[in-house]
Order: sequence, then structure tokens, then C-alpha cells
Amino acid sequence: MAGLPRRIIKETQRLMAEPVAGITAIPDEQNARYFHVVVAGPSQSPYEGGLFKLELFLPEEYPMSAPKVRFMTKIYHPNIDKLGRICLDILKDKWSPALQIRTVLLSIQALLSAPNPDDPLDNSVAEHWKTNEKSAIDQARQWTQLHARANNVNSH
Amino acid sequence: MSGDINRQLSHMSEASSVGSDGNSSEEMDEDIDHSYYEDTSDDLGLDCPSKTDDPEYFEYEPLQLIDAEKMLNEEIEALCTKLKVNPSMAKMLLLRHNWNKEEIIDNYQRNPTEYLIESHLASRHRHDNLMGHRPLCSVCCVEYSKDRFMGVACGHLFCRDCWDMHFQIQIQDGITTGIECMAKECPVLVTEDFVCEILSHPKLRDKYSKFSFNDLIKSHPNLRFCPGVDCSVIIKAKEPKAKKVECQSCKATFCFKCGIAYHAPTECDVIKRWLTKCEDDSETANYISAHTKDCPKCHVCIEKNGGCNHMQCPECKYDFCWMCLGDWKSHGSEYYECSRYKENPNIANESVHVQAREALKKYLFYYERWENHAKSLQLEETTTAKITTRTQEKVMNNQGTWIDWQYLLRAAGLLKKCRYTLQYTYPYAYYMEKGPRKILFEYQQAQLEAEVENLSWKVERAEITDRGVLENQMDVAEKRRLTLLKEFLDVQVL
Repeated sequence: MAGLPRRIIKETQRLMAEPVAGITAIPDEQNARYFHVVVAGPSQSPYEGGLFKLELFLPEEYPMSAPKVRFMTKIYHPNIDKLGRICLDILKDKWSPALQIRTVLLSIQALLSAPNPDDPLDNSVAEHWKTNEKSAIDQARQWTQLHARANNVNSH
Repeated sequence: MSGDINRQLSHMSEASSVGSDGNSSEEMDEDIDHSYYEDTSDDLGLDCPSKTDDPEYFEYEPLQLIDAEKMLNEEIEALCTKLKVNPSMAKMLLLRHNWNKEEIIDNYQRNPTEYLIESHLASRHRHDNLMGHRPLCSVCCVEYSKDRFMGVACGHLFCRDCWDMHFQIQIQDGITTGIECMAKECPVLVTEDFVCEILSHPKLRDKYSKFSFNDLIKSHPNLRFCPGVDCSVIIKAKEPKAKKVECQSCKATFCFKCGIAYHAPTECDVIKRWLTKCEDDSETANYISAHTKDCPKCHVCIEKNGGCNHMQCPECKYDFCWMCLGDWKSHGSEYYECSRYKENPNIANESVHVQAREALKKYLFYYERWENHAKSLQLEETTTAKITTRTQEKVMNNQGTWIDWQYLLRAAGLLKKCRYTLQYTYPYAYYMEKGPRKILFEYQQAQLEAEVENLSWKVERAEITDRGVLENQMDVAEKRRLTLLKEFLDVQVL
């Protein structure tokens, strides 16, 4: 880990020592700035029972710039698009250098519990959510079963 | 067709007899209000539009960067003295509150602490995030002695290097006056003096002052950057109104309020909606409003090559209107109705499908006319160029002097001005509610349209048209334009 800023080392150590419930984040063996993340679908959400793979990358400017995070597992969510990109304020203009990998992942977990169709990234999904929430939630549940079942994650 | 100016120009001898009659045409000039020619007669000092008569009257002056800077600095200094705050703080207050000095002074004097908190320049609590003798910077996780730590009004302290890095990243992203404290969810803004004290990179220092100056100008209600390409002029107006500004240095014309192409009588937000709509829907519209049409009488295919919409078929000599394909004769009188959209009166009872089609039909009606006048404007540009060339030739051949022929250019300039306004009446009409105001608007629009087309017809045949007749037509067209603007431009709530 030569040349790695102290801040990243400290954060990584803490993530390993005191992991967040429902989230694992493991640095890549080749690149300490790249994390393999798995987030468990929160209970009482349509994503319950699913395990969602994400990638998290700390750019050169981190922590002055936000980490880059993306869903690798397909997910039906109004704030996440087909490419897995996430619409979350703290990953954009609300980023603060005092935020951490831990806080980002917690926010993403919270986003799964509380989708926000009023600030959509994927318009068609958001439209579905607004016009027929029940049917949209059913769809999200189906996708979770189809793409994010626990035994599926490793094969992705 | 109507645009065939070359043919008409061969009647040069006829036309020159009009212009060579020097004395009578001088007198003719007296009858015409010179303010109509403000676009072309600047050098003669003839334009003196009066405040009451001209609905487009607007007071503004161009400033060079250095003058604008001086003006802003004076305002900042005045506030410093009044409130006894430092210049960085005064600058932020003015920027955050759009340079409304009275309001700033009022609010500040009522409750300075509360006002600074509200302005994101202070914090309710004084935070202290340092622990122990050699505290840890929470951003880089490195321990330093206490004197390495710095912070702004909120009290959140971080090491000097982290602040420096933070500023570098923000400035590279174009953020300067909006840089916030690094702490989580802390909205307190970082002032200029703090940035300048820490920022180590000289190039970024220049960038910071340039960007923050831009922010200052943009926040000032009475100042606007000229939108002209590579133009550095700043326009200063007495009042921030949606009026026409022409930059003397780069000749760009724009609306002072919103900065895009001037759009009277349509309002800023309406024209924006219209332009977005056109961008979305124009494919269909383009398809429908093709460049060619068939003569309604003999069905020969005609391509429009001039700006005038009064068409005469080259084959059967039938006079008709390019827009509605109706007989031109019915356009001459008060019954001119080609600019008015006739809505299906029974629309409320129709199915959704029919309503959607009707909505598209209505949009296309206005879009076609808007687009058509834009095209006409372009074509009339060519006419102006031709007139300029022909005038030069005539002067060289001793057929009158340069001054004798200026009325042709004035006519072309006025035609452009009138058609421009006419073009922008269509988005206005599209968004208008049904009712007596709309009826009046459409009536005046139709009147203007008829006179613009008459003027266009005469300008394209300028050399065989009597000068008096042409100037009379100019007078009528401009009067129609001003009547419409007076009625509908000044009622805007600004």
C-alpha cells in the first residue's frame, strides 16, 4: 500500500475491523483504491433477500472529490439507471471531504429502503413508481429474485 | 418569383429618376420620424427615441471589465464602511443578496448574528473538532500540532494542506464564491480572504479571482455580460428589464433580462418554453412545412426564394399568400385572418386522440409561421446585400449620390426589424389564453403582418417603386409594430 494516503489506509482498516451491518467492502488485491462491495437488500423493502454487488473507486483527489460508486447487479429502482449509476446528492454536489466510504455505503443502503421517484435518474422507472407504486414494487421484487439472489452474486 | 430582384433591377433608369429628384426627397425626410431608423442612421445622429413614444426604449451603457470592477469595488467599500465588516464579508453579503444594499443594511442592523447565519456566513454553534495536544485532521487522518489547523466562522478546523487541496479541487470545478466548509452538512461559506491566505497554486489564484468576478457580475441585477462571441463588454442598465440591448463593440443584440436573442413581445419564460418545444417537436414540423408549395390555381411547384409572403405564380400570375394559399386580395383589408388560428369549437367534447391531434395542429400552425418568418428574414438579408451592391454601382455610374440611395437600405433595415418582431408575436400568441386580449392581439398581429408583407413586396421591387410610396409603407409598417408593442410589451410585470 505504498503511496496510499493515510486517510484511505485508516478508513480501510476501520471498514475491516468494524464492518457495517449488511454491507461488506473489500479492497481489491491489485488496487487499494478499488473496493468490491456487497449490499444486502434492507428488510421490508422490495430488495429484501437480495445481495447487490457494487464497485467503489476512490479517485486521485479523494477525499476532496467523492468516491465513484456503481451497481453491478441489475436493480429496479427510480434513482438507479440501467448502467448502475446512482443518483445520490452526497455523491455529487453535496459531497464533503468529511464524509467517508462508510457513510456513502450507508446512504446507498438507505436509498434502497426509501426510493425517491421525485428525483429520478431513470424516468421510466420513476414514472412507473409514481403512477402505480404497487406494480413498481412488485417489479422490483421480481428483479431482486431474478438478478440478486444470494447464490447468484458470485457468478456475476 | 417575388424574390427575383435581378429582373427588377434592370428597370434602373426608371428608378433613378426618383432618386435624382434631390430636393423633393430631402423634404420627404422631414415627414418621417427618424427614430425608426435607429439601426442604420447612428452616424448621422438622427435617432433620438423618446421615452414615452417608444415601447422598446431602454437605458443602458457598455462597461469595460475594469470599469465594472471599479463600480463593484465602490459598492463593496460603501457597505464595508456602513456595516463595519471586512471586504470579503461585504462581497459575500452583496453576492448572496443580489446587491440589494438597503435590504442588507436593514437586516444586518436588525440582527447581525441571525442575518450572517441565514447568509451562510456564520454558524449557530461554534464547533471545535480538535482533541488533545496533537490533534488528528479528520480529512487526511494525519496528526499535526494545533497551529496547523485553520477554519472559518463555523469553527470546524482542518489542516492547512487539506484546505489547500479542497480549494484546488473546487476551483478546478469552477466553484469559487460557493466553496463551503469541509465538514459534513456544514453550509458555511469560505470567504475570499481565507482562500487567498491558503491557496498555494498561483494559476488557481488567477482562476479564483476571474471566476469570482464572474459570479459577482452574474449576481448583480443591473449588469450583464454581453453574450457575443469573445466579447468582454459588460452592459449596465438602469433597471433589469426584458428589453433590447445592442452591444456597440460586437453588435450582438439580446434581451437584457435573460440574455438570449431579443424576443418582444413574448416574455422571457414564454420564449424559453417555446424554444424548448420547437427543439423537441421540430422534426415533425419541418417535415410538414416543406420549402416548396404548389400554386393553388395552376398547381405548378413553387420554391420560395424571397422573404415576401405575397406570392405571384410565375406561370399563371395568380397572387396568393404563401402561408394560407388564399387569394392575396382578401389579405389587403381588415379581413386579413391568415395569422389567426381557428380552433375547433367543439374540442372539449372530442376524444383524447382527437384532442392530441388538435394540439399538434395548433402547434404546427404557430410553428410554421414562426419558422417561415425566420426564413424570410434570412432571405431578406440577401435582398439587403443586393441593394448595397446595386447602390454602389449606381453611385459609381453617377446615378445619384450615396445619400440619395440610403433610403433603400433604411427600408431593408426597417423591414428586418418589423419582421423580427412579427416572428416573435407567434410564440406570444401560441401561449395566450383565449379571450378579448387574444382577439385584439391577433387583430394587431394580422395588421402588422399585412403591412410587413406589403413592405417586403415593395423592398424587393425597390427600384421600380416610387420613393414616396415606399417611405409611406415604411411609416405604416413601423406604426403597426409600435402599436402592437405599446399594447402588449409594456403590460409585462417585471
